[in-house]
Amino acid sequence: MADLVSILDGNTFVVSDERGDIEASSTDPTGLFSFDTRFLSRWVLTIDGQRLNALSTDDLNYFEARFFLVPGTGTVYVDSKLSVIRKRNVAEGFHEELTILNHDDKPVELTVRIDAGNDFADLFEVKDALDKQGKYETRVEPERLVLSYVRETYQRGTAISSSKPAAIDKEGLTFDVRIGPGGSWTTELDVMTTLLASGQPRALPKVRSVGRNVKTTMQTDLARWLDAAPRLQCDSETLGLTYRRSLVDLAALRFSPLTAGRRSLPAAGLPWFMTMFGRDSIFTSLQALPFAPELAATTLRELGMRQGTRVDDFREEEPGRILHEMRYGEMTAFEERPHSPYYGCADATPLFVVLLDEYELWTGDRKLVREFEREARAAIAWIGDYADRQNNGYVSYKRKNEETGLENQCWKDSWDSISYSDGRLAGFPRATCELQGYAYDAQMRAARLARVVWKDTVYAEELEKRAADLKRRFNRDFWIESKGYFALALDADGEQVDSLTSNNGHLLWSGIVDKSKAKSVVQHLLGPRLFSGWGIRTLAEEEGRYNPIGYHVGTVWPFDNSFIAWGLRRYGYGREAAQVAAGVLDAAEYFQGRLPEAFGGYDRSLTKYPVQYPTACSPQAWSTGAPLLFLRTMLGLEPAGEHLVVDPALPVGIGHVELLDIPGRWGRIDAFGRGRVETGKRSGRQATLTR
Amino acid sequence: MPETAAELFESLGRRGHEPLLEQAEGSLRFELENGQPQRWLVEVDKGDVVVSHANRKADATIRVDAKLFDRIVRGEVNAMAAVLRGAVTVEGDPQLLMLFQRIFPGPQGG
Repeated sequence: MADLVSILDGNTFVVSDERGDIEASSTDPTGLFSFDTRFLSRWVLTIDGQRLNALSTDDLNYFEARFFLVPGTGTVYVDSKLSVIRKRNVAEGFHEELTILNHDDKPVELTVRIDAGNDFADLFEVKDALDKQGKYETRVEPERLVLSYVRETYQRGTAISSSKPAAIDKEGLTFDVRIGPGGSWTTELDVMTTLLASGQPRALPKVRSVGRNVKTTMQTDLARWLDAAPRLQCDSETLGLTYRRSLVDLAALRFSPLTAGRRSLPAAGLPWFMTMFGRDSIFTSLQALPFAPELAATTLRELGMRQGTRVDDFREEEPGRILHEMRYGEMTAFEERPHSPYYGCADATPLFVVLLDEYELWTGDRKLVREFEREARAAIAWIGDYADRQNNGYVSYKRKNEETGLENQCWKDSWDSISYSDGRLAGFPRATCELQGYAYDAQMRAARLARVVWKDTVYAEELEKRAADLKRRFNRDFWIESKGYFALALDADGEQVDSLTSNNGHLLWSGIVDKSKAKSVVQHLLGPRLFSGWGIRTLAEEEGRYNPIGYHVGTVWPFDNSFIAWGLRRYGYGREAAQVAAGVLDAAEYFQGRLPEAFGGYDRSLTKYPVQYPTACSPQAWSTGAPLLFLRTMLGLEPAGEHLVVDPALPVGIGHVELLDIPGRWGRIDAFGRGRVETGKRSGRQATLTR
Repeated sequence: MPETAAELFESLGRRGHEPLLEQAEGSLRFELENGQPQRWLVEVDKGDVVVSHANRKADATIRVDAKLFDRIVRGEVNAMAAVLRGAVTVEGDPQLLMLFQRIFPGPQGG
């Protein structure tokens, strides 16, 4: 596929080719999308019947792009008397300023044509190529072209209009244009989407062109967002670039659910996952807490309000369960897909409680913690009740929706991610180890909140007792004595799934690991089978299913590594945390500061550069958040009462680092550090543990 | 478990407090259409609920076919999916309906 250009705002986005044209087939992922529905699948510009040729394309901002074009295609040599500029920004659909310049000393007469059409595909249909059940209608009105789709009460529409008069037919707009010598011609095109905002089919708007104002608002908003974040001053150019990239990408990834008003939370990834995901929104909010704490507040609110209250096997909803994914498209509307919302995930519920506590530690916002006491208690109850699917005191998962539900309900959600050393796949239910860590941490943190905020010491003591019991059992049942690390999971028979995985690092983060076992765990994490030199692999070399470019069976995930670094610091391994941070941040340099979702698990000494894993979404929220969490772990930022403790452990190569105006319950505080930690040889093969 | 809209609203009014609605503040006006139109006004203040037939402007007005609403009340139809397909419409604050739908049961037998 040729280079695609994406611009977006919230969950409205436009994906076109480098000319700005859209020619989507039913399974092709280009077009104008909003609320998980395609609103434009054809948008092709011609001049005198000729397609255009792209000279250059600028992504001005995440919400606007500019295309410089000339007529004629296919030739290397371009000598045109005309040039064409399309400037496009997202605005309740999109707004496009089309300008044609005549460089000749004679006037020109041109037929400018825009072909338009739409299939109103659901995002799920774009993936699966399914047939539509509703009716299409195309209406030519005096000043606009209206495309619509109706299935029973479900309606979606697209209205296309122009500031210059056009001859409108059912397949597009035609302009007869005359441009004087050295002159230019411009029209402004608006493509407006209509949907069931707040459940009410909005009338197709009569007034056109709000586009320009929306753009100005978005520019101001982005400037304000960057201004509110802590300032980073550092010797490392890569770190500076990566930090700025992360903040801008995080701004782009903000998403406001229909009911959230102006508040926003991090969506999972651009552009296909611009929706609320329990797990992704929580992890990203945790990473961003020291930088943009308001994301966590919205995440907690929106997820809390949608917490499960009943048993519904199709949606895998259960009382107390936090949602996995929400969608607004046609298939969800007709209950052909369960995403209204879908609850099939085993980790978002304990992580919700973890985020609630971490949010209070940083911000001191007890009001929100009081407001969501019921939800936090319901989440804790779910952990001990519905989530214990084998009645053995461990959280496990097995889908109830066999048709469209998710098989793997942990973050490593691909089909082959949970395997034994010999490569066999574990049966269901699966009690993966990191789920027990999250459950432990959630109970410990809820106990703190119960003492400090809810003033219920009886509940606090009960939670601490349960957590201590879980920790004791876990260190007995999951620990593989002969190998010196924790099993990936317990299978349906309670047997250990014995492969070596990065999940061990999440256990450190949760604090469920006995102190006496930590050193051995750390040796494995930084040892040659897991540490590639760029980061810690999801699955260790020599395991049956290890594949350096397997999605969850050998690649290195920046998000995974950032939480592992946090865990390493929690257990006092600052040098090793710095080593992991240094590896992943070195890799960021090869991606212009934008870390991909994952990169290959090849040894660093072998490839010399990180090999990107091909995924459809970039940026990905929790990869965007990873450098932020690395900054936190390298500087050793930990809230302690009304203070922020700074305890730097920075890798030698990074030089001087200052993070200024870190927001929190202390107001604003600066943190300083200098790279003093020798992180050892750069290759994972030669990495040694000196502790 | 309520079988009809009337049973749902009357039982809610009798309880006077619904823990699942503690996040909600505002009024919902349900207009059930089909044959004899029915109107229910639910005023919520952090879980405290007053139910009436009063004809007042509300923060959210919900319009839905009465038969469909009965099916929602029995857990046969998912309310949020019905909103997405326009079978239930909300005028005003959609968050109130999102919170209110927490009290509907799930399908029988899961």
